[in-house]
Amino acid sequence: MTRSERITIAVLWVFASFVFVLLYGPAVLVATLSFFDMDRGQIAWGSFSLAHYASLLENKSILAALGNTLMVAFTSVAIATILALGLAYYMRTGERRGRAYVEFIIFLPFVLPAIITGISLLVAFREVGVDRGLTTIAIGHIVVVIAIIYRMVMVRLEALETSQLEASADLGATQFQTFRLVVVPQLASAMVTGALLAFTISFDETLVTFFLAGSDPTLPLRLWAMMRVGFSPEINALVTIVLLGTMVLATLGALSLRRGIAKERA
Amino acid sequence: MIRWSLVRLAVYGIPTLLILCPMGLFLLSSFWSMSGNKMSHSWTLANYRAFFANASYWGIYLQTIKLAGIVALFGLVSGYIVAYLIWRQRGPLRYMLLLFSVIPLAMNYIVKIYAMRGILGFNGVLNSALVWSGLLAKPSTMFVFNQTAVLIAMAVIYLPFAILPIFLSLERIPHSLVEASADLGAPPGQTFRRVVLPLSLPGSVVGGLFVMVLSLGDFLTPQMVGGSQGFTFGRAIWSQFGMAFNWPFGAALAVMLLLAIAIILIAARLLTRYRRTS
Repeated sequence: MTRSERITIAVLWVFASFVFVLLYGPAVLVATLSFFDMDRGQIAWGSFSLAHYASLLENKSILAALGNTLMVAFTSVAIATILALGLAYYMRTGERRGRAYVEFIIFLPFVLPAIITGISLLVAFREVGVDRGLTTIAIGHIVVVIAIIYRMVMVRLEALETSQLEASADLGATQFQTFRLVVVPQLASAMVTGALLAFTISFDETLVTFFLAGSDPTLPLRLWAMMRVGFSPEINALVTIVLLGTMVLATLGALSLRRGIAKERA
Repeated sequence: MIRWSLVRLAVYGIPTLLILCPMGLFLLSSFWSMSGNKMSHSWTLANYRAFFANASYWGIYLQTIKLAGIVALFGLVSGYIVAYLIWRQRGPLRYMLLLFSVIPLAMNYIVKIYAMRGILGFNGVLNSALVWSGLLAKPSTMFVFNQTAVLIAMAVIYLPFAILPIFLSLERIPHSLVEASADLGAPPGQTFRRVVLPLSLPGSVVGGLFVMVLSLGDFLTPQMVGGSQGFTFGRAIWSQFGMAFNWPFGAALAVMLLLAIAIILIAARLLTRYRRTS
Protein backbone atom coordinates (compact mmCIF):
# COMPACT_ATOMS: atom_id res chain seq x y z
CA MET A 1 0.00 0.00 0.00
CA THR A 2 1.30 3.43 -0.84
CA ARG A 3 1.46 6.25 1.65
CA SER A 4 -1.51 8.13 0.19
CA GLU A 5 -3.63 4.99 0.25
CA ARG A 6 -2.77 4.37 3.88
CA ILE A 7 -3.75 7.94 4.70
CA THR A 8 -7.03 7.55 2.81
CA ILE A 9 -7.90 4.39 4.73
CA ALA A 10 -7.05 6.08 8.02
CA VAL A 11 -9.31 9.03 7.19
CA LEU A 12 -12.09 6.60 6.27
CA TRP A 13 -11.70 4.87 9.63
CA VAL A 14 -12.00 8.18 11.43
CA PHE A 15 -15.22 8.84 9.52
CA ALA A 16 -16.51 5.32 10.24
CA SER A 17 -15.85 5.80 13.96
CA PHE A 18 -17.92 8.98 13.77
CA VAL A 19 -20.72 6.96 12.14
CA PHE A 20 -20.61 4.41 14.96
CA VAL A 21 -20.79 7.24 17.49
CA LEU A 22 -23.89 8.47 15.65
CA LEU A 23 -25.40 4.98 15.74
CA TYR A 24 -24.77 4.26 19.40
CA GLY A 25 -24.52 7.74 20.95
CA PRO A 26 -28.26 8.29 21.35
CA ALA A 27 -28.76 4.93 23.05
CA VAL A 28 -25.79 5.36 25.38
CA LEU A 29 -26.97 8.83 26.32
CA VAL A 30 -30.46 7.66 27.26
CA ALA A 31 -29.11 4.70 29.21
CA THR A 32 -26.77 6.96 31.19
CA LEU A 33 -29.53 9.41 32.02
CA SER A 34 -31.71 6.61 33.38
CA PHE A 35 -29.50 6.25 36.47
CA PHE A 36 -29.55 9.91 37.51
CA ASP A 37 -31.98 12.59 38.61
CA MET A 38 -32.41 15.75 36.59
CA ASP A 39 -32.06 19.06 38.33
CA ARG A 40 -33.30 22.06 36.29
CA GLY A 41 -32.19 20.52 32.99
CA GLN A 42 -28.82 19.46 34.35
CA ILE A 43 -27.77 15.96 35.33
CA ALA A 44 -27.26 15.62 39.08
CA TRP A 45 -24.20 13.38 38.95
CA GLY A 46 -24.37 12.61 42.67
CA SER A 47 -27.76 10.99 42.42
CA PHE A 48 -26.87 7.59 40.95
CA SER A 49 -29.61 5.08 41.75
CA LEU A 50 -31.89 2.43 40.33
CA ALA A 51 -34.94 4.26 41.69
CA HIS A 52 -36.37 4.96 38.25
CA TYR A 53 -36.28 1.28 37.41
CA ALA A 54 -38.07 0.42 40.64
CA SER A 55 -40.81 2.97 40.00
CA LEU A 56 -41.41 1.40 36.57
CA LEU A 57 -42.50 -1.83 38.22
CA GLU A 58 -45.30 0.05 39.97
CA ASN A 59 -46.51 1.73 36.81
CA LYS A 60 -49.59 -0.32 35.86
CA SER A 61 -50.12 1.23 32.43
CA ILE A 62 -46.58 0.42 31.32
CA LEU A 63 -46.81 -3.16 32.49
CA ALA A 64 -50.15 -3.53 30.71
CA ALA A 65 -48.65 -2.13 27.50
CA LEU A 66 -45.72 -4.54 27.79
CA GLY A 67 -48.18 -7.41 28.21
CA ASN A 68 -50.08 -6.29 25.09
CA THR A 69 -46.87 -6.10 23.09
CA LEU A 70 -45.75 -9.57 24.10
CA MET A 71 -49.16 -11.07 23.40
CA VAL A 72 -49.33 -9.47 19.95
CA ALA A 73 -45.76 -10.51 19.15
CA PHE A 74 -46.21 -14.15 20.19
CA THR A 75 -49.53 -14.60 18.39
CA SER A 76 -48.57 -12.86 15.19
CA VAL A 77 -45.15 -14.53 14.93
CA ALA A 78 -46.65 -17.98 15.59
CA ILE A 79 -49.35 -17.54 12.94
CA ALA A 80 -46.98 -15.89 10.45
CA THR A 81 -44.45 -18.72 10.88
CA ILE A 82 -47.06 -21.37 10.13
CA LEU A 83 -48.38 -19.42 7.13
CA ALA A 84 -44.89 -18.78 5.77
CA LEU A 85 -43.90 -22.41 6.20
CA GLY A 86 -47.02 -23.63 4.39
CA LEU A 87 -46.59 -21.13 1.56
CA ALA A 88 -42.90 -21.86 1.06
CA TYR A 89 -43.39 -25.63 1.14
CA TYR A 90 -46.25 -25.47 -1.36
CA MET A 91 -44.22 -23.28 -3.72
CA ARG A 92 -41.16 -25.53 -3.48
CA THR A 93 -42.91 -28.84 -4.18
CA GLY A 94 -43.83 -28.70 -7.84
CA GLU A 95 -44.05 -26.11 -10.58
CA ARG A 96 -46.32 -23.41 -9.20
CA ARG A 97 -47.44 -20.87 -11.73
CA GLY A 98 -48.64 -18.52 -8.99
CA ARG A 99 -45.33 -18.36 -7.15
CA ALA A 100 -44.28 -14.99 -8.56
CA TYR A 101 -47.72 -13.59 -7.74
CA VAL A 102 -47.70 -14.74 -4.09
CA GLU A 103 -44.12 -13.61 -3.53
CA PHE A 104 -44.88 -10.23 -5.04
CA ILE A 105 -47.85 -9.77 -2.71
CA ILE A 106 -46.20 -10.84 0.53
CA PHE A 107 -43.16 -8.67 -0.18
CA LEU A 108 -45.28 -5.56 -0.80
CA PRO A 109 -45.60 -4.58 2.90
CA PHE A 110 -41.87 -5.12 3.21
CA VAL A 111 -40.96 -2.82 0.34
CA LEU A 112 -43.62 -0.14 0.71
CA PRO A 113 -43.48 2.32 3.60
CA ALA A 114 -45.44 1.33 6.70
CA ILE A 115 -47.84 4.22 6.28
CA ILE A 116 -49.29 2.60 3.12
CA THR A 117 -49.75 -0.79 4.81
CA GLY A 118 -51.28 0.90 7.84
CA ILE A 119 -53.80 2.94 5.88
CA SER A 120 -54.74 -0.06 3.70
CA LEU A 121 -55.52 -2.29 6.68
CA LEU A 122 -57.30 0.54 8.48
CA VAL A 123 -59.61 1.19 5.52
CA ALA A 124 -60.20 -2.56 5.06
CA PHE A 125 -61.09 -3.14 8.73
CA ARG A 126 -63.41 -0.14 8.63
CA GLU A 127 -65.17 -1.46 5.51
CA VAL A 128 -65.59 -4.95 6.98
CA GLY A 129 -66.74 -3.45 10.27
CA VAL A 130 -63.99 -4.75 12.57
CA ASP A 131 -63.25 -2.51 15.55
CA ARG A 132 -59.64 -1.60 16.22
CA GLY A 133 -57.91 -3.48 19.02
CA LEU A 134 -55.19 -6.01 19.74
CA THR A 135 -56.58 -8.40 17.09
CA THR A 136 -56.24 -5.83 14.31
CA ILE A 137 -52.72 -5.01 15.52
CA ALA A 138 -51.81 -8.71 15.44
CA ILE A 139 -53.15 -9.08 11.88
CA GLY A 140 -51.11 -6.03 10.88
CA HIS A 141 -47.98 -7.57 12.36
CA ILE A 142 -48.59 -10.86 10.53
CA VAL A 143 -48.72 -8.90 7.27
CA VAL A 144 -45.51 -7.04 8.16
CA VAL A 145 -43.37 -10.03 9.22
CA ILE A 146 -44.55 -12.86 6.96
CA ALA A 147 -42.14 -11.94 4.15
CA ILE A 148 -39.03 -12.21 6.31
CA ILE A 149 -39.94 -15.66 7.67
CA TYR A 150 -40.93 -16.84 4.18
CA ARG A 151 -37.58 -15.71 2.82
CA MET A 152 -35.63 -17.49 5.58
CA VAL A 153 -37.55 -20.75 5.12
CA MET A 154 -37.40 -20.55 1.31
CA VAL A 155 -33.62 -20.11 1.21
CA ARG A 156 -33.27 -23.27 3.30
CA LEU A 157 -35.86 -25.16 1.24
CA GLU A 158 -34.10 -24.32 -2.02
CA ALA A 159 -30.90 -25.82 -0.63
CA LEU A 160 -32.80 -29.01 0.16
CA GLU A 161 -32.35 -31.57 -2.58
CA THR A 162 -35.47 -32.80 -4.34
CA SER A 163 -34.02 -36.31 -4.33
CA GLN A 164 -34.61 -36.46 -0.57
CA LEU A 165 -38.31 -35.91 -1.09
CA GLU A 166 -38.37 -38.47 -3.92
CA ALA A 167 -36.50 -41.02 -1.83
CA SER A 168 -38.94 -40.55 1.00
CA ALA A 169 -41.88 -41.04 -1.37
CA ASP A 170 -40.24 -44.13 -2.92
CA LEU A 171 -39.87 -45.64 0.51
CA GLY A 172 -43.61 -45.35 0.99
CA ALA A 173 -43.97 -42.22 3.09
CA THR A 174 -47.12 -40.18 2.61
CA GLN A 175 -46.73 -36.52 1.67
CA PHE A 176 -47.45 -35.47 5.23
CA GLN A 177 -44.92 -37.95 6.63
CA THR A 178 -42.26 -36.64 4.26
CA PHE A 179 -43.05 -33.13 5.37
CA ARG A 180 -42.97 -33.96 9.09
CA LEU A 181 -40.01 -36.37 9.15
CA VAL A 182 -37.76 -35.11 6.35
CA VAL A 183 -38.48 -31.45 5.73
CA VAL A 184 -39.39 -29.89 9.09
CA PRO A 185 -36.30 -31.13 11.01
CA GLN A 186 -34.06 -29.52 8.39
CA LEU A 187 -36.03 -26.30 8.46
CA ALA A 188 -35.98 -25.90 12.23
CA SER A 189 -33.00 -23.54 12.42
CA ALA A 190 -34.27 -21.36 9.58
CA MET A 191 -37.67 -21.14 11.26
CA VAL A 192 -36.14 -20.19 14.61
CA THR A 193 -34.02 -17.48 12.97
CA GLY A 194 -36.97 -16.13 11.01
CA ALA A 195 -39.22 -16.18 14.06
CA LEU A 196 -36.63 -14.36 16.20
CA LEU A 197 -36.20 -11.63 13.60
CA ALA A 198 -39.97 -11.39 13.20
CA PHE A 199 -40.39 -11.14 16.96
CA THR A 200 -37.92 -8.25 17.11
CA ILE A 201 -39.76 -6.47 14.32
CA SER A 202 -43.17 -7.03 15.90
CA PHE A 203 -41.92 -5.88 19.31
CA ASP A 204 -40.75 -2.56 17.83
CA GLU A 205 -43.44 -2.08 15.17
CA THR A 206 -44.87 1.41 15.52
CA LEU A 207 -45.86 2.97 12.20
CA VAL A 208 -48.40 0.32 11.15
CA THR A 209 -49.56 -0.22 14.72
CA PHE A 210 -50.47 3.45 15.05
CA PHE A 211 -53.21 3.04 12.45
CA LEU A 212 -54.58 -0.20 13.88
CA ALA A 213 -54.59 0.36 17.65
CA GLY A 214 -57.76 0.80 19.64
CA SER A 215 -57.76 1.79 23.29
CA ASP A 216 -55.15 -0.84 24.30
CA PRO A 217 -51.69 0.51 23.40
CA THR A 218 -48.58 -1.55 22.75
CA LEU A 219 -45.32 -0.54 24.43
CA PRO A 220 -44.05 1.70 21.58
CA LEU A 221 -47.38 3.55 21.50
CA ARG A 222 -47.35 3.96 25.28
CA LEU A 223 -43.77 5.27 25.04
CA TRP A 224 -44.82 7.73 22.37
CA ALA A 225 -47.67 9.01 24.55
CA MET A 226 -45.30 9.41 27.52
CA MET A 227 -42.68 11.21 25.42
CA ARG A 228 -45.12 13.78 24.16
CA VAL A 229 -45.55 14.98 27.73
CA GLY A 230 -41.81 15.46 28.13
CA PHE A 231 -38.61 13.93 29.40
CA SER A 232 -38.45 12.01 32.63
CA PRO A 233 -35.87 9.64 34.08
CA GLU A 234 -38.60 7.02 34.23
CA ILE A 235 -38.92 7.05 30.44
CA ASN A 236 -35.15 6.74 30.18
CA ALA A 237 -35.25 3.66 32.40
CA LEU A 238 -38.02 2.10 30.35
CA VAL A 239 -36.24 2.94 27.12
CA THR A 240 -33.03 1.36 28.40
CA ILE A 241 -34.82 -1.89 29.24
CA VAL A 242 -36.51 -1.96 25.82
CA LEU A 243 -33.17 -1.31 24.11
CA LEU A 244 -31.45 -4.08 26.01
CA GLY A 245 -34.29 -6.51 25.34
CA THR A 246 -34.43 -5.92 21.59
CA MET A 247 -30.65 -5.94 21.24
CA VAL A 248 -30.41 -9.29 23.00
CA LEU A 249 -33.12 -10.65 20.70
CA ALA A 250 -31.37 -9.30 17.61
CA THR A 251 -28.02 -10.74 18.68
CA LEU A 252 -29.64 -14.12 19.26
CA GLY A 253 -31.18 -13.89 15.79
CA ALA A 254 -27.85 -12.97 14.20
CA LEU A 255 -26.04 -15.81 16.01
CA SER A 256 -28.67 -18.35 14.97
CA LEU A 257 -28.42 -17.06 11.40
CA ARG A 258 -24.67 -17.53 11.49
CA ARG A 259 -25.00 -21.04 12.89
CA GLY A 260 -27.43 -21.84 10.06
CA ILE A 261 -24.95 -20.59 7.46
CA ALA A 262 -22.10 -22.52 9.05
CA LYS A 263 -24.20 -25.69 9.02
CA GLU A 264 -25.06 -25.18 5.37
CA ARG A 265 -21.40 -24.87 4.44
CA ALA A 266 -20.35 -27.93 6.43
CA MET B 1 -58.89 -33.67 -5.17
CA ILE B 2 -61.15 -31.47 -3.06
CA ARG B 3 -58.41 -31.31 -0.42
CA TRP B 4 -55.91 -30.02 -2.97
CA SER B 5 -58.18 -27.32 -4.25
CA LEU B 6 -58.73 -26.25 -0.63
CA VAL B 7 -54.97 -26.03 -0.17
CA ARG B 8 -54.66 -24.00 -3.34
CA LEU B 9 -57.46 -21.71 -2.20
CA ALA B 10 -55.63 -21.10 1.10
CA VAL B 11 -52.23 -20.55 -0.55
CA TYR B 12 -53.51 -17.94 -2.97
CA GLY B 13 -56.45 -16.71 -0.93
CA ILE B 14 -54.80 -15.79 2.36
CA PRO B 15 -52.13 -13.44 0.95
CA THR B 16 -54.69 -11.91 -1.40
CA LEU B 17 -57.17 -11.35 1.41
CA LEU B 18 -54.64 -10.08 3.94
CA ILE B 19 -52.56 -7.85 1.70
CA LEU B 20 -53.87 -7.30 -1.82
CA CYS B 21 -57.54 -6.65 -0.95
CA PRO B 22 -56.74 -4.01 1.72
CA MET B 23 -54.37 -2.27 -0.70
CA GLY B 24 -57.03 -2.34 -3.39
CA LEU B 25 -59.59 -0.86 -0.98
CA PHE B 26 -57.07 1.81 -0.03
CA LEU B 27 -56.67 2.80 -3.69
CA LEU B 28 -60.45 2.82 -4.15
CA SER B 29 -61.01 4.88 -1.02
CA SER B 30 -58.93 7.69 -2.46
CA PHE B 31 -61.83 8.24 -4.89
CA TRP B 32 -64.43 8.34 -2.13
CA SER B 33 -65.52 11.26 -0.01
CA MET B 34 -66.46 11.99 3.56
CA SER B 35 -70.08 12.54 4.52
CA GLY B 36 -70.42 13.28 8.20
CA ASN B 37 -68.07 10.87 9.93
CA LYS B 38 -68.55 8.05 7.41
CA MET B 39 -66.90 7.36 4.08
CA SER B 40 -69.40 7.55 1.23
CA HIS B 41 -68.72 5.23 -1.68
CA SER B 42 -69.67 7.59 -4.48
CA TRP B 43 -66.88 8.21 -6.97
CA THR B 44 -65.16 11.55 -7.13
CA LEU B 45 -61.86 13.04 -8.21
CA ALA B 46 -62.23 15.85 -5.68
CA ASN B 47 -59.42 14.56 -3.44
CA TYR B 48 -56.88 14.61 -6.25
CA ARG B 49 -58.19 17.94 -7.48
CA ALA B 50 -57.70 19.35 -3.98
CA PHE B 51 -54.12 18.11 -3.95
CA PHE B 52 -53.20 19.54 -7.33
CA ALA B 53 -55.03 22.84 -6.70
CA ASN B 54 -53.33 23.54 -3.39
CA ALA B 55 -49.81 24.84 -3.86
CA SER B 56 -48.87 24.25 -0.22
CA TYR B 57 -49.49 20.48 -0.56
CA TRP B 58 -47.39 20.48 -3.73
CA GLY B 59 -44.66 22.36 -1.94
CA ILE B 60 -44.56 19.93 0.98
CA TYR B 61 -44.64 17.00 -1.46
CA LEU B 62 -41.57 18.18 -3.37
CA GLN B 63 -39.80 19.33 -0.22
CA THR B 64 -40.28 15.90 1.39
CA ILE B 65 -38.94 14.10 -1.69
CA LYS B 66 -35.90 16.38 -1.57
CA LEU B 67 -35.48 15.75 2.17
CA ALA B 68 -35.68 11.97 1.68
CA GLY B 69 -33.21 12.26 -1.21
CA ILE B 70 -30.63 14.00 0.99
CA VAL B 71 -31.17 11.47 3.79
CA ALA B 72 -30.64 8.67 1.23
CA LEU B 73 -27.51 10.29 -0.15
CA PHE B 74 -26.04 10.61 3.34
CA GLY B 75 -26.95 6.96 3.99
CA LEU B 76 -25.37 5.88 0.70
CA VAL B 77 -22.06 7.69 1.19
CA SER B 78 -21.48 7.01 4.86
CA GLY B 79 -22.99 3.53 4.59
CA TYR B 80 -20.62 2.75 1.73
CA ILE B 81 -17.58 3.89 3.68
CA VAL B 82 -18.49 1.77 6.71
CA ALA B 83 -19.49 -1.26 4.62
CA TYR B 84 -16.29 -1.02 2.54
CA LEU B 85 -14.07 -0.94 5.61
CA ILE B 86 -15.88 -3.94 7.10
CA TRP B 87 -15.65 -5.79 3.78
CA ARG B 88 -11.85 -5.31 3.74
CA GLN B 89 -11.48 -6.97 7.13
CA ARG B 90 -10.83 -10.68 7.56
CA GLY B 91 -11.46 -12.88 10.56
CA PRO B 92 -13.52 -12.26 13.70
CA LEU B 93 -13.21 -8.45 13.53
CA ARG B 94 -15.19 -8.50 10.30
CA TYR B 95 -18.08 -10.39 11.82
CA MET B 96 -18.07 -8.26 14.96
CA LEU B 97 -18.12 -4.96 13.08
CA LEU B 98 -20.91 -6.26 10.89
CA LEU B 99 -22.92 -7.25 13.96
CA PHE B 100 -22.33 -3.82 15.50
CA SER B 101 -23.63 -2.09 12.41
CA VAL B 102 -26.71 -4.31 12.27
CA ILE B 103 -27.71 -4.11 15.96
CA PRO B 104 -28.95 -0.50 15.64
CA LEU B 105 -31.58 -1.87 13.24
CA ALA B 106 -33.16 -3.57 16.22
CA MET B 107 -33.07 -0.52 18.46
CA ASN B 108 -36.57 0.66 19.03
CA TYR B 109 -37.57 3.34 16.56
CA ILE B 110 -39.46 5.48 19.09
CA VAL B 111 -36.47 5.29 21.42
CA LYS B 112 -34.21 6.62 18.68
CA ILE B 113 -36.53 9.54 17.98
CA TYR B 114 -36.65 10.28 21.69
CA ALA B 115 -32.87 10.25 21.97
CA MET B 116 -32.49 12.43 18.87
CA ARG B 117 -34.83 14.99 20.38
CA GLY B 118 -32.69 15.09 23.50
CA ILE B 119 -29.65 15.69 21.32
CA LEU B 120 -31.12 18.29 18.97
CA GLY B 121 -33.08 20.51 21.39
CA PHE B 122 -32.22 24.12 22.21
CA ASN B 123 -30.76 22.95 25.53
CA GLY B 124 -29.80 19.63 23.95
CA VAL B 125 -26.53 17.75 23.92
CA LEU B 126 -25.41 19.04 20.51
CA ASN B 127 -25.89 22.68 21.46
CA SER B 128 -24.21 22.18 24.84
CA ALA B 129 -21.26 20.48 23.16
CA LEU B 130 -20.90 23.24 20.56
CA VAL B 131 -21.01 25.97 23.21
CA TRP B 132 -18.68 24.07 25.53
CA SER B 133 -16.12 23.53 22.77
CA GLY B 134 -16.21 27.23 21.92
CA LEU B 135 -17.53 26.75 18.37
CA LEU B 136 -20.64 28.71 19.28
CA ALA B 137 -20.99 31.64 21.64
CA LYS B 138 -24.57 30.76 22.56
CA PRO B 139 -26.96 27.88 21.71
CA SER B 140 -28.04 27.92 18.07
CA THR B 141 -31.61 27.52 16.81
CA MET B 142 -30.39 26.17 13.47
CA PHE B 143 -31.41 22.59 14.24
CA VAL B 144 -34.26 23.12 16.68
CA PHE B 145 -37.76 22.18 15.52
CA ASN B 146 -37.24 22.71 11.79
CA GLN B 147 -36.46 20.85 8.56
CA THR B 148 -32.78 20.58 9.46
CA ALA B 149 -33.66 18.84 12.71
CA VAL B 150 -35.84 16.38 10.79
CA LEU B 151 -33.04 15.83 8.27
CA ILE B 152 -30.41 15.11 10.93
CA ALA B 153 -32.70 12.84 12.95
CA MET B 154 -33.78 10.82 9.89
CA ALA B 155 -30.22 10.56 8.60
CA VAL B 156 -29.09 9.03 11.90
CA ILE B 157 -32.15 6.80 12.33
CA TYR B 158 -32.13 5.35 8.80
CA LEU B 159 -28.36 5.10 8.30
CA PRO B 160 -28.08 1.47 9.51
CA PHE B 161 -30.60 0.39 6.86
CA ALA B 162 -28.07 1.34 4.17
CA ILE B 163 -25.00 -0.43 5.59
CA LEU B 164 -26.26 -4.01 5.27
CA PRO B 165 -27.42 -3.93 1.61
CA ILE B 166 -24.20 -2.16 0.60
CA PHE B 167 -22.11 -4.75 2.41
CA LEU B 168 -24.05 -7.54 0.68
CA SER B 169 -23.44 -6.00 -2.75
CA LEU B 170 -19.70 -5.79 -1.97
CA GLU B 171 -19.83 -9.40 -0.78
CA ARG B 172 -21.21 -10.47 -4.19
CA ILE B 173 -18.02 -9.41 -5.99
CA PRO B 174 -16.03 -12.57 -6.73
CA HIS B 175 -12.76 -12.44 -4.86
CA SER B 176 -10.93 -13.75 -7.92
CA LEU B 177 -11.69 -10.50 -9.75
CA VAL B 178 -9.97 -8.42 -7.08
CA GLU B 179 -7.00 -10.82 -7.09
CA ALA B 180 -6.78 -10.78 -10.87
CA SER B 181 -6.68 -7.00 -10.85
CA ALA B 182 -3.85 -7.06 -8.30
CA ASP B 183 -1.99 -9.75 -10.28
CA LEU B 184 -2.16 -7.60 -13.38
CA GLY B 185 -0.38 -4.88 -11.48
CA ALA B 186 -3.14 -2.51 -10.41
CA PRO B 187 -2.46 -0.77 -7.11
CA PRO B 188 -5.26 -1.10 -4.50
CA GLY B 189 -6.60 2.37 -5.30
CA GLN B 190 -6.96 1.52 -8.97
CA THR B 191 -8.54 -1.86 -8.21
CA PHE B 192 -11.09 -0.04 -6.08
CA ARG B 193 -11.91 2.55 -8.74
CA ARG B 194 -11.99 0.20 -11.75
CA VAL B 195 -13.30 -3.06 -10.22
CA VAL B 196 -14.86 -2.79 -6.76
CA LEU B 197 -16.73 0.50 -7.08
CA PRO B 198 -18.38 -0.14 -10.48
CA LEU B 199 -19.47 -3.65 -9.45
CA SER B 200 -20.89 -2.65 -6.08
CA LEU B 201 -22.41 0.70 -7.00
CA PRO B 202 -25.77 -0.46 -8.44
CA GLY B 203 -26.52 -2.62 -5.39
CA SER B 204 -25.42 0.17 -3.08
CA VAL B 205 -27.67 2.70 -4.79
CA VAL B 206 -30.55 0.27 -4.27
CA GLY B 207 -29.68 0.35 -0.55
CA GLY B 208 -29.80 4.14 -0.67
CA LEU B 209 -33.17 4.08 -2.42
CA PHE B 210 -34.46 1.78 0.32
CA VAL B 211 -33.51 4.46 2.86
CA MET B 212 -35.30 7.03 0.70
CA VAL B 213 -38.53 5.00 0.72
CA LEU B 214 -38.35 4.63 4.51
CA SER B 215 -37.84 8.33 5.13
CA LEU B 216 -40.55 9.31 2.62
CA GLY B 217 -43.17 7.41 4.60
CA ASP B 218 -42.05 8.46 8.07
CA PHE B 219 -44.54 10.56 9.99
CA LEU B 220 -43.41 10.25 13.62
CA THR B 221 -39.82 11.56 13.40
CA PRO B 222 -40.89 14.89 11.85
CA GLN B 223 -43.71 15.12 14.37
CA MET B 224 -41.32 14.73 17.28
CA VAL B 225 -38.30 16.80 16.23
CA GLY B 226 -39.79 18.98 13.46
CA GLY B 227 -42.20 21.23 15.33
CA SER B 228 -44.31 23.47 13.12
CA GLN B 229 -41.42 24.29 10.77
CA GLY B 230 -40.57 20.68 10.02
CA PHE B 231 -43.83 19.68 8.35
CA THR B 232 -43.49 16.76 5.93
CA PHE B 233 -45.78 14.93 3.53
CA GLY B 234 -45.98 11.93 5.86
CA ARG B 235 -47.33 14.20 8.57
CA ALA B 236 -49.84 15.69 6.12
CA ILE B 237 -51.17 12.19 5.40
CA TRP B 238 -51.21 11.20 9.07
CA SER B 239 -53.13 14.32 10.06
CA GLN B 240 -55.97 13.31 7.72
CA PHE B 241 -56.38 10.11 9.72
CA GLY B 242 -56.21 11.92 13.05
CA MET B 243 -57.26 15.48 13.72
CA ALA B 244 -58.49 16.43 10.24
CA PHE B 245 -60.40 13.15 9.89
CA ASN B 246 -60.71 13.01 6.13
CA TRP B 247 -59.69 9.46 5.24
CA PRO B 248 -60.37 9.61 1.49
CA PHE B 249 -58.24 12.76 1.14
CA GLY B 250 -55.53 11.15 3.27
CA ALA B 251 -55.68 8.09 1.01
CA ALA B 252 -55.32 10.29 -2.08
CA LEU B 253 -52.25 11.94 -0.55
CA ALA B 254 -50.85 8.48 0.23
CA VAL B 255 -51.43 7.44 -3.40
CA MET B 256 -49.33 10.43 -4.47
CA LEU B 257 -46.62 9.20 -2.09
CA LEU B 258 -46.97 5.71 -3.56
CA LEU B 259 -46.49 7.18 -7.02
CA ALA B 260 -43.16 8.74 -6.01
CA ILE B 261 -42.11 5.43 -4.44
CA ALA B 262 -43.15 3.44 -7.51
CA ILE B 263 -40.84 5.60 -9.61
CA ILE B 264 -38.01 5.04 -7.12
CA LEU B 265 -38.58 1.27 -7.07
CA ILE B 266 -38.68 1.03 -10.86
CA ALA B 267 -35.37 2.92 -10.93
CA ALA B 268 -33.98 0.39 -8.43
CA ARG B 269 -35.28 -2.48 -10.58
CA LEU B 270 -33.59 -1.07 -13.68
CA LEU B 271 -30.35 -0.67 -11.76
CA THR B 272 -30.29 -4.30 -10.61
CA ARG B 273 -31.07 -5.49 -14.12
CA TYR B 274 -28.22 -3.35 -15.44
CA ARG B 275 -25.95 -5.01 -12.92
CA ARG B 276 -26.93 -8.49 -14.08
CA THR B 277 -26.47 -7.87 -17.77
CA SER B 278 -23.27 -5.88 -17.66
